Amino acid sequence: MKLYETAVRKPISTILIFIGVLIIGGFSLRNLAIDMYPDMDIPYLSVITTYTGANATDIETNITRVLEDNLNTVDNLKKLTSTSSDEMSMITLQMEWGADLDQAANDIRDVIGRISSALPDEADDPILFKFSSSMMPVMVLSATADESYAGLYKLLDDKMVNVLNRIDGVGSVSLFGEPVREIQVNVDPVKLEAYNLTVEQIGQIIANENSNIPSGTLEIGNNQFNVKADGEFNSSDDLKDIVISNYNGRTIMLEDVAEIKDTIEKMTIDERINGKRGVRVLIQKQSGANSVAIVKDVTAELENIKETLPNDVKIDVVMDSSESIVDSINSLEETVMFAFLFVIIVVLFFLGRWRATFIICLTIPISLITAFIYLYGTGSTLNIISLSSLSIAIGMVVDDAIVVLENITKHIERGSTPREAAIYATNEVWLAVIATTLVVVAVFLPLTMVSGMAGIMFRELGWIVTIVICVSTLAAITLTPMLSSLMLKAETKHQYKGLGIIFKPIDKFLDKLDEGYAKLLAWTVRHRLLVICSTFVLFFASLGVFMAGFIPIEFMPTSDTSIITMNVQLQQNLNVDYTVKTARKIDSIINVKYPEIYLLSTSTGESSNSQSRMLSSDAASYAINYTMRLVKPHERERSMFLISDLLRQDLDQIPEVRQYTVTPGGNRGGSVGGISTISLKVFGQDLNQTNDVALYLKDKISQLSTTRDVQLSRDDMRPEYNIVFDREKLALYGLNSTTVATAIRNRLNGLTASLYREDGDEYDIIVRYAEPFRTSFEDIENITVYGSEGQPIKVKDVATITEEFAPPIIERENRQRQVSVEISLGDGVALGTAVQEINDKVLADYQIPDGVYLEMGGSVEDQQDSFSDLTTLLVLIILLVYIVMATQFESLLMPFIIMLTIVPAFTGVIVALWATNTPLSLIALLGAIMLVGIVVKNGIVMVDYTNLLRERGSAINQAVIASGKSRLRPVLMTSLTTILGMVPLAIGTGEGSEIWQPMGIAIIGGLTFSTFLTLLLVPCLYSVFVGSGLKKEKKAINKKRKEEKRKRNEFQEAKALK
Amino acid sequence: MKAIFISYNKALSERVMETLDRLHARGFTRWEDIQGRGSFDGEPHYGNHAWPSVNVAVLTIVADNKVKPILDELRYIDHQAPQHGLRAFVWDITEKM
Repeated sequence: MKLYETAVRKPISTILIFIGVLIIGGFSLRNLAIDMYPDMDIPYLSVITTYTGANATDIETNITRVLEDNLNTVDNLKKLTSTSSDEMSMITLQMEWGADLDQAANDIRDVIGRISSALPDEADDPILFKFSSSMMPVMVLSATADESYAGLYKLLDDKMVNVLNRIDGVGSVSLFGEPVREIQVNVDPVKLEAYNLTVEQIGQIIANENSNIPSGTLEIGNNQFNVKADGEFNSSDDLKDIVISNYNGRTIMLEDVAEIKDTIEKMTIDERINGKRGVRVLIQKQSGANSVAIVKDVTAELENIKETLPNDVKIDVVMDSSESIVDSINSLEETVMFAFLFVIIVVLFFLGRWRATFIICLTIPISLITAFIYLYGTGSTLNIISLSSLSIAIGMVVDDAIVVLENITKHIERGSTPREAAIYATNEVWLAVIATTLVVVAVFLPLTMVSGMAGIMFRELGWIVTIVICVSTLAAITLTPMLSSLMLKAETKHQYKGLGIIFKPIDKFLDKLDEGYAKLLAWTVRHRLLVICSTFVLFFASLGVFMAGFIPIEFMPTSDTSIITMNVQLQQNLNVDYTVKTARKIDSIINVKYPEIYLLSTSTGESSNSQSRMLSSDAASYAINYTMRLVKPHERERSMFLISDLLRQDLDQIPEVRQYTVTPGGNRGGSVGGISTISLKVFGQDLNQTNDVALYLKDKISQLSTTRDVQLSRDDMRPEYNIVFDREKLALYGLNSTTVATAIRNRLNGLTASLYREDGDEYDIIVRYAEPFRTSFEDIENITVYGSEGQPIKVKDVATITEEFAPPIIERENRQRQVSVEISLGDGVALGTAVQEINDKVLADYQIPDGVYLEMGGSVEDQQDSFSDLTTLLVLIILLVYIVMATQFESLLMPFIIMLTIVPAFTGVIVALWATNTPLSLIALLGAIMLVGIVVKNGIVMVDYTNLLRERGSAINQAVIASGKSRLRPVLMTSLTTILGMVPLAIGTGEGSEIWQPMGIAIIGGLTFSTFLTLLLVPCLYSVFVGSGLKKEKKAINKKRKEEKRKRNEFQEAKALK
Repeated sequence: MKAIFISYNKALSERVMETLDRLHARGFTRWEDIQGRGSFDGEPHYGNHAWPSVNVAVLTIVADNKVKPILDELRYIDHQAPQHGLRAFVWDITEKM
């Protein structure tokens, strides 16, 4: 028994099986985590080596190059970049997307192990560092306070950090910019010298005084007592009374030579939230944990925490990674629901019957829910790719059910009972239904095989659409006939009863449409060459529009995520105090001019905490980092891109600003969905030469209208003081450079003498010169150190201090030195436009010096890679679709006719992009590729039925017209469900929905255009190609007949002769 | 004894068989999925791309008095679904074993 027959005969089993699928799907959906993108490993690995005392060039020669030469052989390596700076070499290996990173890490360790003997002995062992998405904070909070500011660190540490750390999935909670208490012993060098004391001695005395020592046990009679000597300070004031020396019979206390301050440490970083001093709380997740769940838990816990904190402490959310995820997912869920609704309306409009509409639309939830089972089974998440896939599939899943139900209705009209009709009508179409599904699968399955970053994004899309479409076909040949046999009525004519009255005018309209189309078709078939030629003229015209650059090219569509980050750099060597003043100036400008920004988090200077340094490489004492949160896009008129451009203009007005980067959307470097950047790489061995070239290019490019924030990756040289020791003189006094250098460090930076304990917390006791004695160049020269015989020696006696410029960092890519010009784009500028402008206006007439060559990188590189991947894919898909159709029709001509309908589809894509002013991005291109599968379905329906009519004996033109008339409704119906299913995606109202907008636009444009043209073009092509084939056949037959006749005549003549 | 040869669209299978059962025509011989074409009008039943429907033929030998009720029933079925195609032919049985 055939599958569909079994389904009709066993309705209970069929229904229960599908209910089972629904239950499993519902269960999967309930347990699915939410995320932005499918899980993807960032394919970067770094090897970091430190080598104390070496400058950038030494590092490059002795470490970076040695490592690079060997690491180059690692499998799946895409690009090898390195940065050699003072004392550190950092090599970054960019692997192919989707490569096994654990394997790569093992390979790299092998390489490091093999060559570590070739590295200099003094260099530390190279460390392998693996990037992970869990390093990015999932949430950044800010805490501001007025009266409680001094104690804020302890408050937050006790009441917040510890509590948040206990939440499941939270990796770490760290505080930045917190005021840290320290006990300062600021000594006066003049007094110190008078008493023959040194900073080190004072440090030693403090350490000796501040200790608790258990002193053994004492037995008195039968009892035993512990004896201890508690010398630790009970209060910071105890320090004042420490006796440090006896001088001429007088006791010298610490307070005689130093000022003791129990205060907070000098700020190296100034954190402000909306202008108020505050602390930034960074929450990182454990690897593999779900951001949305963590943020939800943290937010809930924060409410409890707030109650335990003093009233003046205010907690705000600076960054919440889950917000955009939740918004995107919500808006996509809405999109899917709207698509569902539109499809129902279309089906109801054409069929005019509630029961039929119900049967068809039931296949939507059943097939879509299997996607959740797939996602749950593969451990994936409900993300924007998986949800968009559903909204792409929704218009296609009803197609098969429509075809089956249409044939069943036809059988019922002929007098079958619904049950008979269900079985025998399905029997007639089930093979054709599977064949059209194969065409769609031929388009989507190859998507799972794309390599590179595009592959990571589209793999899930390919699988989901393939699975959903296959399940919908299965439902169409089992569930649809089964439900039809139970639910459809045997009546043949619509009764227009009750609410059904509204279908009367619709039916009339559709009938008229059929008639009108038949007339139009009759005309076109008579003027078929005109139709064909004008289609191709249109195609070439649209191609011309595209080639002429009317449609800009872009990598990924950008979306307004309501966040702007900004890095502002002043002159190098400016200190935090000065930078803070400029920061306040910029703050006030932002406050006045941009009411859209409701949260302004400013971070000036760099944290003394090493972990935060790794996270923010842009931080420096002369740099200000901003994070600005804007109100939701629909609540403001100016886009974040426009605001960014205006901010740039404001920064240009501030003279002390040396350079800046404004990044709408945050996350510079543009991973998925981020903004596009161009980096123009200058390769060349000679550092000065490449510097000159890069500076020239930077200058020229920053004058272009499309570019913003043009910067060099190699920073300017930075002035430093260098203490050069005279080793002979040092030896004379019994000193060496290390002791003197350490002594200088202890006086300037301070010596941590001991730890002061209070309430279980420890605070540093720092001894150093009081501030007035370490403010000038001469202060260093006048530092006194003591020789081996105790004689005082000034630093200037043994060393000279020179002002120097630190050598720049050396960057390399694929083992060649390079410096890159980093370029951001202006508001609304597409990547392709900027690239073209740079090429035309800067590079075209630039004579590149010998030994230097240029290369475009950044998003341009990604875009070119992905576009070429997708173009290959397009060719592959077209071939596959052709093969599937050729086997279906057992003809080479028919698939060719159908494939020609792709031509007007591409015209439609170009027209739609052009009309809506949408750049051609990776996503739009993907839409164009999907069109191949969608538009040929229409062609198959038309050609198949025309063939059928011809086989039944109609003449070509008659067959063409009759089949057009008969297939108009199914073609319009399947096209309209797909088009209207895409409308919510193309309108894209929700946050983050801009990403899929180009795809929606491309598909709607292409499909609308191709549907209307297919309805006219396919009949014409059919009549031309099949007609000419027929003529040839006729000629051949006539020839054969003549030949036969000639032979017969010859035979007759021969017989007559006998 | 009469032989009734019934040739019909497969879609009518259930109704025809149910009629024979109801009228106690127990014995029959059936050919499934066969091809056929009417003499005057109606669609051919070839089971191919152009003409996807197929026929079924049943040969049943019944007592003379059962012929009329069977034919009446078949006529009613044909009247209900004239486009499907259902024909019956009757001839005499002269001998049997």
